[in-house]
Amino acid sequence: MRLARTVLLALLGMAFLAPLAWMVNASLKAEGEAVVSPVAPPEVARWENYGAALRQMGAFDDSGPYAGFLQLAANTLLITALSIAFQILTCSLAGYAFARLRFRGRDVLFVLVLAAMMLPAQALVIPQFVLFQQLGWIDTFLPLLVPCLLGGSPFFIFLFRQSFLTIPRDVVEAARLDGCGAFGVYLRVMLPLSRPVVATVAIFTFLAAWNDLWTPLIYLSSPENQTLTLALAGFSRTYRVAVEHLMAASTIVLLPCVVVYFLAQKTLVRGVQLSATKG
Amino acid sequence: MKGLLLALSLAAPAPAPAPEPPERELRVMVFDPTSLTERWRKLQDLAERFEREHPGVRVRLLADGGSASLTKLNILLAAREPIDVVWCDVVEFTSLWHDGALLDLQPYFDADSAWRPEEYFPGPLDAFRGSDGHLFGLPSTFTPYVMYVNRDILAEEGLAFPAPEWTWDDLRDIALRCTGEREDGYRWGLSITQWLQALAPWIWQNGGRFLSEDLSRCTLDEPEAVEALDFLLRLFHEDRVVATDATYEGQVTRGEFQAGNVALYGPVGYWEVYRFKQITDFAWDVHPLPRRQQAATSVALRSYCVTRYTGEPQLAYEFVRMLAGEDMSRTLARIGNGVPGLRAVAESEDFLRPDVAPDSEHVFIDVMEHARFLPVHASWREIESVVRDELQGALLFGKYDAETACRRMTDKVNAFLERERADRSRPRANVPLLGLALAGAAGLALLVGVRLMGPRPGALRRREERAAARLLALWGTGFVAFTLGPMLATLGLSLLVWTPVRPLLEARWAGLDNYAELTRDDAFGQALAVTASYTLLSVPLTLALALGLAVLVRRGLAVFRTIFYLPVVASAVAVGVIWRWILGSGFVEAALGAKWIESEAWIVPGFVLMSLWSIGGPMLVFLAALQGIDGALYEAARVDGASRWRQFLHVTVPQLTPAILFNLVIGLINASQTFAQPYVMTDGGPGNASLFYVLYLYRTAFRFHRMGYASALAWVLFVALLALTLLVMRSSRRWVHYEGRVA
Repeated sequence: MRLARTVLLALLGMAFLAPLAWMVNASLKAEGEAVVSPVAPPEVARWENYGAALRQMGAFDDSGPYAGFLQLAANTLLITALSIAFQILTCSLAGYAFARLRFRGRDVLFVLVLAAMMLPAQALVIPQFVLFQQLGWIDTFLPLLVPCLLGGSPFFIFLFRQSFLTIPRDVVEAARLDGCGAFGVYLRVMLPLSRPVVATVAIFTFLAAWNDLWTPLIYLSSPENQTLTLALAGFSRTYRVAVEHLMAASTIVLLPCVVVYFLAQKTLVRGVQLSATKG
Repeated sequence: MKGLLLALSLAAPAPAPAPEPPERELRVMVFDPTSLTERWRKLQDLAERFEREHPGVRVRLLADGGSASLTKLNILLAAREPIDVVWCDVVEFTSLWHDGALLDLQPYFDADSAWRPEEYFPGPLDAFRGSDGHLFGLPSTFTPYVMYVNRDILAEEGLAFPAPEWTWDDLRDIALRCTGEREDGYRWGLSITQWLQALAPWIWQNGGRFLSEDLSRCTLDEPEAVEALDFLLRLFHEDRVVATDATYEGQVTRGEFQAGNVALYGPVGYWEVYRFKQITDFAWDVHPLPRRQQAATSVALRSYCVTRYTGEPQLAYEFVRMLAGEDMSRTLARIGNGVPGLRAVAESEDFLRPDVAPDSEHVFIDVMEHARFLPVHASWREIESVVRDELQGALLFGKYDAETACRRMTDKVNAFLERERADRSRPRANVPLLGLALAGAAGLALLVGVRLMGPRPGALRRREERAAARLLALWGTGFVAFTLGPMLATLGLSLLVWTPVRPLLEARWAGLDNYAELTRDDAFGQALAVTASYTLLSVPLTLALALGLAVLVRRGLAVFRTIFYLPVVASAVAVGVIWRWILGSGFVEAALGAKWIESEAWIVPGFVLMSLWSIGGPMLVFLAALQGIDGALYEAARVDGASRWRQFLHVTVPQLTPAILFNLVIGLINASQTFAQPYVMTDGGPGNASLFYVLYLYRTAFRFHRMGYASALAWVLFVALLALTLLVMRSSRRWVHYEGRVA
């Protein structure tokens, strides 16, 4: 049974990995090799493609060997870290209110939360751009960050709500008897018992912010304010894309995500069995 | 709160320390720093030189957004961002010019004693004149469309290299002779590109035209155009000399030529020279297009223009002159950006580079004598999209004969032209009044909402309500400012006819006409069908597979949890490129008898498969929920003697219902808004078989510049999704189990 499961997982895993393996494979090929023989391994592994990709991504700044790339990486990290903190704070607070507090109009408001996801972003972009322009925020990180703190993602509010709803009532009652108010219950019961969800939100936000193309594309115009994903997209310019450099750049941008996810998923799985079985 | 503000102010990129702020700033948005390093370096050089020559002026170089530059330009122009110099494609120029977004540079040229128009190729220069003959920009580089020839295949078949004045018949003869099974595999005579500018030469060569002289109606149904398309259709479906699996605009097309399997490839521009430099195992060259009644070719080009919102017209003009000058032209020529607009540079070794293939590079200059340009007209983007869809339908899939295809194109284009005329006669909208009305309606809705909330509750409940209000404050502020406001604005826009690059106050009143038009719009129906079939296939499959995987990987090696999540981690750009290869590759073809990405029937299932590949997101949600299940429940079930399967059905599934509801709702919303993958991979093709709803919306807003209609599209999707979600949420009371629900 266990063996069968492992074999099944291994087979599925290979299917999931194949496209990424192809990406890494293509990233090591010579110019044009990936077009002529897409599947075969590279004749010679060209690691210099990675150096070239890094230099091209940071081409706006030639003051040091990789100065431009480091600037982009720093921007991306800052945006990502703040986004995670803001999303967790705002969305867990709102999710808690929707899950466990009784107030008039709750269900209508919750539908409004979800409704915010239903109008395609492409249709909202011009009014939003004009708004941020009036605030003087164009070409700063603020249009990317402030909506995480004020507003938050409906997706995560919903996720927190669903998780908070599953926490048994008697656990909450016990905390209330211990003298916790609404905020105390949030801080001492809800958040600790929902660690896997907090980790999930952190992972999702990391990836969303890291890979976001649309918002930085529109709001960040100075080269020194741009992000890694934006630089990656610069490669895919229609008539000049060098597949091997694009793939090297993709691999570089992908790598931190893999590491972060691998580390975070442990928290996710270790999770809360301990505390949950107590209740 | 103070801490947060501090964090925010830290997050804003520090302004460059400028001891004395420059009096004047010139904002230049012409290239992207990542796409061609040498080009960006030269731009930096020029900016520095310009600053030295104009003390007190600072040149700010902005990234133009690379492949998304037109969208970015449209948004910035719509918001009146003060951008001075932009880099504009010739097709985009016609609509920007039409909408008055560009500055007339003629007075500045007239006042410039150093201006010598004869230094530039006349065709590319004239392409940037308005219909009054005024010049609005200067060309950077251009490329006429030519034919690429595999010399080795011709030699092997004993064929002479065609003469410069070769004809359609010569082309067909060569293609017939070269097609067939050879020692090293199947070989094709032709690979034919299929977009508007690639189709145009065939029609012009046969004496046809797209629009009547007064631009009032489409003339693609005239016999000359029908005959041209008929010739192409015969090559595809009767002679079978065209590599039909190699005609997709993208990697695959040139891949077949690059792999040495195609004798003639085109009509296509100079950009392939750069790519084909990598070819080492056969000899190739470029050649003028064949002719029929006359010789003709179309030209792709870009030009430096100044926006109407510039505050520094004279400086911007001077910077355009510098950009289009010799220094940048030489750099662009050397890196293979195209044929320089400056004649002297085009004739120099910087461009002709005798040591580098192809031998006949001069062809790109020679054929300019027969260059034709599309007439200046606002609707080219829409015409372009119709022509591409219909052309692929006819050429790739043989859906129509030439006459039918031409009639369909003509009817559709005439419908746009008719609509445009009707739009011009619409009354001006009173935009401020509309804004007030919307705000009023929103206020009224709020009042009614509060009224409907029910009576004031007792003191204990009121405390709970105040707590809830505090908890929701962060969300509420942002929701009102960043979502509700823009949503209302979009609702207002859906009642207007508005081109984003024009001032909003010039918008015209449409009432509900945008919504009425939906019922007559074929593309809307197609977009609905594509999106609905994708959603119905992908959401249930994703849920089932994600749940199964989550249960499987919950215990056991951590590495599996990572592997199944990995695909989600990759950015859409990389994923798109990877999947284009997979779906267009040999083994999929062998299994289906058709290349997935080029098959009308299989393209949507292809996207479904892609979506299954990235089920890591829902899997993670299930995984987190699984961890939250109380172990005691399983213990109780075991004590009762329940089998593993029964435990799964009676403990796991009910406990997971909140997560299932979540994944279902989110899955429905996300699937119906699929955009990035078709945008990167197919742009709605082949034909319009993958025209997803939001992709159509995006096209309407940013390519066709019809913000009002796009807003109506958005609101229709919004209402449909809202209804669907409410239905699911309502039904959830019956099947979702919450451990700690409060009434």
